[in-house]
Amino acid sequence: MSGQRGVTMATSKETELDLVERCRRGELGAFETLYRQHSGRLFSLAVRMLGNPADAEDLLQEIFLSAHRKLESFRGESALGTWLYRLATNQILDHVRSRAARTGQMTDGLDDATLLADASGHRLADRAIARVDLERALAELPEGCRAAFVLHDVEGLEHKEVSEVLGIAEGTSKSQVHKARLRLRGLLRRSV
Amino acid sequence: MACERYLNSIHESIDGTIGSIRRAELEMHLDQCEDCRALYEDLKRIHAAAADLPRLEAPARAWLQIAGRLRQEGRIHEETKAPAIGRRQYVGWLAAAAALILAVAAAVMLIKPASDRAPQSQTAQSTPAATAPAATDQKAIESATTAVDTAQNQFEKAIADLEKVAKANQQVLDPATSTTIDKNLGILDQAIAENRAAVKTDPTSVAARETLFEALRQKVTLLQDTISLINEMRKGNNAAAAQLVNKS
Repeated sequence: MSGQRGVTMATSKETELDLVERCRRGELGAFETLYRQHSGRLFSLAVRMLGNPADAEDLLQEIFLSAHRKLESFRGESALGTWLYRLATNQILDHVRSRAARTGQMTDGLDDATLLADASGHRLADRAIARVDLERALAELPEGCRAAFVLHDVEGLEHKEVSEVLGIAEGTSKSQVHKARLRLRGLLRRSV
Repeated sequence: MACERYLNSIHESIDGTIGSIRRAELEMHLDQCEDCRALYEDLKRIHAAAADLPRLEAPARAWLQIAGRLRQEGRIHEETKAPAIGRRQYVGWLAAAAALILAVAAAVMLIKPASDRAPQSQTAQSTPAATAPAATDQKAIESATTAVDTAQNQFEKAIADLEKVAKANQQVLDPATSTTIDKNLGILDQAIAENRAAVKTDPTSVAARETLFEALRQKVTLLQDTISLINEMRKGNNAAAAQLVNKS
């Protein structure tokens, strides 16, 4: 995932492996260090992919508990942050799919008329887009295109990487990100 | 409206993946088409704002709960080396908080069957079964009362233990924060008392019961956050402490 923003490792590989080894030995302090280094990024990803901070908080716990169990299999072939990111993304997507299976809303769920209206009409107000408005609008996107948009526009992954993570065609990733942008425009116009 | 044939070019231009010939063609079009120019500029701003979204911080209680689960599952060992200042107390509080979280979780589990049964009971009242003997109603009331009492006892035990830990260490907090927390606890106590009276009046009311439990849950959360705040202050982690204060 070369396109990820902010995947800068604060620790050298040797220190990272040492930290992992201490976690494997059951040192709570070591695991807390690992948590402090990575929880913000993974929590942000979960909040935006799920569109719900409470679900994200619950899932964050499951992600780190799962990471603690799976650290035995961490060989240091990739950076710890990348390994955790993949683990987290898989768990988040499992959660999204399971929720979508219950509600039947995994498809992008946007009809052409809505997108046409979003692409037309007056432009956004000149003032800066408020973070809170954008977060709220993001939460209103249908699951499928929200996931693609978050991974591509927020997390900075390339479409090829998004398609691999989501298990969809590259063209579908593009289409979903494009639809998400148009829908966000419509939602942000409404929030002004 | 924006021209459909330029939509892909607009997105690709924002992504930086458009080829030079199509870019030139798009630029020429944008010079002439006000709608497409508006769309292009809006989408570019949305793309930039998304990339600039800040990293969010997980609530402090998330770590306490993870640590509690790891302890519960026997997957960690206590550190034996000399603790940093306050570390011993911190670990102790973590253990206490973890145990209390489990107690609260148990209380919530106890509530669920009562909530699940309640709608059936309500439905029954609107069907021919509403003519069931009064003894059945009395049994339902007794059963609901017992479930509520059991869950309340769990909450109250958790709250008492959390209050004990929080009170014993509240001197770490500055007076203003301490006063705010006490004030909020007072408000919650009042809400709990009022809801408790409502449940007593109508033990089978699902709404009254849920509101009472929500008030109790809020008190548990406030106390857990207070302990987290004390822990962060002890550790000198001002950023995490500030986050907790802002959340309150």
